[in-house]
Amino acid sequence: MSTEPGRMRLSPEEHARLRRRARLRREVSGWAFLGPMFACFVLFLVVPVLGTAWWSTRFGGLIGGTRFVGLDNFTRLPSLVGAPQAIWNTVVFAGASVPLILAGALGIALLLARLERGGAIYRFLVYFPVLVPGVVAALIWLFLTNSDFGLFNEILRAFGLPPVTWFATDTALGVLVALDVWRNVGYWAMFFVAAIIGLPGELYQAAKLDGASAFARFLYLTLPMLRRIIFFAVVVSTIWAFQVFDTAIVLTRGGPAGATTTVVYRVWQYVFGSSNKVGYASAISLVMIVAILALTLLQMRLLRSRRGAD
Amino acid sequence: MAVIAESSAVGGRQDLKRLAVDHARIRTRQRRLRELARHLALGLITFVLVAPFYYVFLASLKDSHAIFQYPPELVPWPPFWGNYANVLSHTNFLRWMFNTLFVATTVTVLKVFLDSMAGYALAKIDFTGRRAVFLLMLILLMVPGGALIVPLWSLFNSLGLIDTYFALILPPLANPLGAILMRQFILGLPRDLENAARLDGLNEFQIYWRIVLPLIKPGLVVLAVILFTDQFMSFIWPLIATTSDNLIVLTVGVASLRAHGGVDYGLWSASAVMSLVPIAVLFFILQRQFLARSLAGALKQ
Repeated sequence: MSTEPGRMRLSPEEHARLRRRARLRREVSGWAFLGPMFACFVLFLVVPVLGTAWWSTRFGGLIGGTRFVGLDNFTRLPSLVGAPQAIWNTVVFAGASVPLILAGALGIALLLARLERGGAIYRFLVYFPVLVPGVVAALIWLFLTNSDFGLFNEILRAFGLPPVTWFATDTALGVLVALDVWRNVGYWAMFFVAAIIGLPGELYQAAKLDGASAFARFLYLTLPMLRRIIFFAVVVSTIWAFQVFDTAIVLTRGGPAGATTTVVYRVWQYVFGSSNKVGYASAISLVMIVAILALTLLQMRLLRSRRGAD
Repeated sequence: MAVIAESSAVGGRQDLKRLAVDHARIRTRQRRLRELARHLALGLITFVLVAPFYYVFLASLKDSHAIFQYPPELVPWPPFWGNYANVLSHTNFLRWMFNTLFVATTVTVLKVFLDSMAGYALAKIDFTGRRAVFLLMLILLMVPGGALIVPLWSLFNSLGLIDTYFALILPPLANPLGAILMRQFILGLPRDLENAARLDGLNEFQIYWRIVLPLIKPGLVVLAVILFTDQFMSFIWPLIATTSDNLIVLTVGVASLRAHGGVDYGLWSASAVMSLVPIAVLFFILQRQFLARSLAGALKQ
């Protein structure tokens, strides 16, 4: 009867057996391919995340043993010397650097995307600071902020202005923000250029015919269409800003008076600068991990729901 | 009358034509002016972004007296090479550089294989737990290494691997970004190819090795660039994982020049310039792949 002779020859048992075998083969090959990477992922990422939670309930040092103290580390966190300051510094840092980076990047991207020719050289130069390791960037900035021969004060001097002490308590964090803008603006500029070039050109033609000004086209066309992209950039660059450490340790050494001591810096100090604060370090780390997980989930959620909408 | 009307009509047509030509000329001029303004703005921005490099390069060519001179020499002549000689003779710089390049290369090579295999499994093989694993990777994608130093240190310490190359190479392998990217790339491949390959009797590994890998080569290069630069720049874990001068990587070594030893602007400037050489060379060769580094982030999930 059947036009598929191959199917006819299989008894139901045989069919089921073959399906089981194919399924088994899929399971085995799937885990074989995933296995090596997944083992590293679990061992060096999942386990340490859980480990941070475990350590956050301990009091003591990395060497010399710890004891269980429940949630004491978290309740003591607000009154701990330096901990609220570190969190505050990090939040201020992120709050200042993220808008500056993204606004600057968007501006550069708009210029680059409209350029008729000669974009390659600008892209190369704008992106170059992105490739500088934070430590090296901090060394370079020592030469900009030095009060005797730093570039910033030389420029001020050329205009007849008094020199500035760049590493005072109220300016040092600003210097770190400026460094971060310098180092990251190129990354997001390239990101935005790709997005802008991908926008449909007909809409702009139509808007132009209707007499919309360049600014109106930006405000009512470009920005709304880039909303998801910008949201992604805000979340990711905020998460990156939370992690600032290497520039702070080399350029300002956390100072003066803890003015540039960030969360990761404080964690590092608790672990390696004292013998019994590993629990505090883990408690702050966990707060940061939870904040970042919340941001990640928020983003996944919004990206998914928007995709469902359009 | 007819003649006059005709001539005026012709004149009108010529006027119109001239008007159109003028209009076009004005528009071209406006376009050129705008283009010029864009070039000026971008030129200014790139100048500001690049000036710090030039300034530190200048400083590296000055001795300890010339650096304090005002106004600063914009072209120090004759250049003073002593700072570079100092970096090479007074520090372990070349060893640090070797360590960085060795670790970064090893991590990159290992990870390109691990990630492309994992990406293949996540994209093409239907096994139990696939969705859960992928979701877990997405969720933990952004967890920063700086928050994991306590458990990682104690793990490696209990394994007796602190202050070895293993401590530098193993933890970066956990990063799920590569597997997620590779999954994305492999999902974009047409299904027919692997079906044809399967009918030809190729097994999963042969399909991955002979069909998939060659097809996603551009993606592999971008991944390699991402991994290599991330590794080149990594700092906090190497700072904690290694202590002996023969094992520390470039970023840790350069930071130690600032942390220990006195104020030595010559040493700092020359080591900063030398640190940038490898990545600058690589960027020059692989410009497009580097710029795609940003775009990889734009991949929708």
